[in-house]
Amino acid sequence: MKAARAGGITGSPRAALAIAALLVVALGVPLLHNGYYENLVRGILMFSAMSLGWNLLGGYAGYVSFGNVVYFGIGAYVSAYLANHGWANVWVDVPAGMIVAALFAILLGLPILRLEGHYFGIATLGIALAVQELIANTDALGNGSGLTVTQAAWFSQYYYAMWAVCAYAFGLTWLVATSKFGYALVAIRENEDAAAVLGIDVTRAKIAAWALCATMAAGAGGVFAFSNGFIDPPTAFGLEDNVFPIVMALLGGVGTVAGPVVGALILTAINETLWSHFPQIHTLFFGVVIVLVVLFLPRGLLFLAGVKGGWRGFVRGLSAYRV
Amino acid sequence: MNIINLAHGAYLMMGAYLSYVLFTSLHVDPFLSVPIAFAVMFGFGFLVQKYVINFVVRAPMLTTFLLTFGLSLLLVNIALVIFHGDSKAVAPAYTGSHFDLGPVTIGWTKFWTLLVALAVTGVVQLWLSRSRTGRAIRATALDIGAAQLSGVRVANIYAIVYGLGAGLAGAAGVLVGLNQGLNPSMGDPYIIDAFVVCVLGGLGSVQGALVGGLVFGIVEALGSQFIGSGLQDAVALGVFLIVLIVRPTGIMGRALV
Repeated sequence: MKAARAGGITGSPRAALAIAALLVVALGVPLLHNGYYENLVRGILMFSAMSLGWNLLGGYAGYVSFGNVVYFGIGAYVSAYLANHGWANVWVDVPAGMIVAALFAILLGLPILRLEGHYFGIATLGIALAVQELIANTDALGNGSGLTVTQAAWFSQYYYAMWAVCAYAFGLTWLVATSKFGYALVAIRENEDAAAVLGIDVTRAKIAAWALCATMAAGAGGVFAFSNGFIDPPTAFGLEDNVFPIVMALLGGVGTVAGPVVGALILTAINETLWSHFPQIHTLFFGVVIVLVVLFLPRGLLFLAGVKGGWRGFVRGLSAYRV
Repeated sequence: MNIINLAHGAYLMMGAYLSYVLFTSLHVDPFLSVPIAFAVMFGFGFLVQKYVINFVVRAPMLTTFLLTFGLSLLLVNIALVIFHGDSKAVAPAYTGSHFDLGPVTIGWTKFWTLLVALAVTGVVQLWLSRSRTGRAIRATALDIGAAQLSGVRVANIYAIVYGLGAGLAGAAGVLVGLNQGLNPSMGDPYIIDAFVVCVLGGLGSVQGALVGGLVFGIVEALGSQFIGSGLQDAVALGVFLIVLIVRPTGIMGRALV
């Protein structure tokens, strides 16, 4: 890994600055009074936060989780439950969901983060499925038929709440990437045993990263419950919400600060265009997009900037993983 | 071989639709379609691995995971365009006929499905452990570089293994299609189930897969009987997590490989 360049392990500090500027600009979107744009950008912010969350553990620490949607779902259900019990305030419920998700992650992390590779990935996927099924069988959470969340009159506050979640995820990732903690995670990714020998408390670092990533996904899920107005197990634990953030991080650049947001921007734009032009087969096209991204940009767009030798270097790089 | 194949369910679906097409247009008996589906899906999987997945085989696990997920989306949605979303059935004349074994009633199709599945598993196990190709496969799984140095054509081995996986999924799809309705997303539940079964038994072991399948099936059935059918997956996954934590190499798994 060429992480030792200037800017530490942010990937590209310039790209991170550009994203930060974009985020500030995004604050003005509700002033356009255009519901479509507001929904669209809120979606991008949501996926950015989830992708950043996945990236913290999967990108920096190298622990590839396939079940981060469990935190999205927990955040959504905490919000919906509190909102239905006299606490219909997005600024209270969402942080509450983030705390619950973090506690869940810490409890779960003790056994689960001992697993590696495939085992960790599938265990996380299994947990997401199991929690979804448990909720679908819990009376207080509306069983399989879901919960309705009464929306406040001022709808744009959900936009600002999602913005805050995304800014939190982005700022935190940047902070981690420029801190000793970030380097500890990268050390774990490159060689966990060596990291432990160097004196890094491996278990604690992994659990901390997982808890932080849980708060990011749970924040997104919490606001989603409000802005969507309704959640049931399939919407709160949807396959798309599970896989899109991973594809986004991969597209932008795994283990970078800006990558997940770049990926979320591009992928949402592609998805939106496909959806409006080919509603019947847009999922089919999405499959094609994923295949192309994996084959031609296996290390993400941000790494393109670092490719040496121009076009030839790019083509040479394509066969790096070939047998 | 270190590839998480999320397109497995799609291959199962393709096998099922193949037998559906053969049955409705040519009246081919579904059990005859099993070898046909195996051959066709073997060829398909071989080509997919050789000309697509082999390009990223050495990349981190995540890459092949997403690639096969994309493939799966693609294949399922192509099937959706061709066959539409409504449920189809493969129903030969003997569907519904059954025999009694003491107090238990067993459908003939289910009985033969079990026998065919066991036979196929046995053949695969024999082939992997006895044949030259089987040895090359195990060598590649252990160490790509060393296998290559010993003269194994690693790229072809990957293609054969992936083809075999796709072929078996296709054959299984025919059997599944005999016992339930067909729709383009019919394979999705089997992806996670198949993985859980393999991890339960121990990755990279055929006997393990058989034991894992039995354990998984029994746990699921008991769970739905005593805890409620709504929670049968949660119970099965709970057992899976416990096995994973207590014995990460699976019930039959060895310490290495």
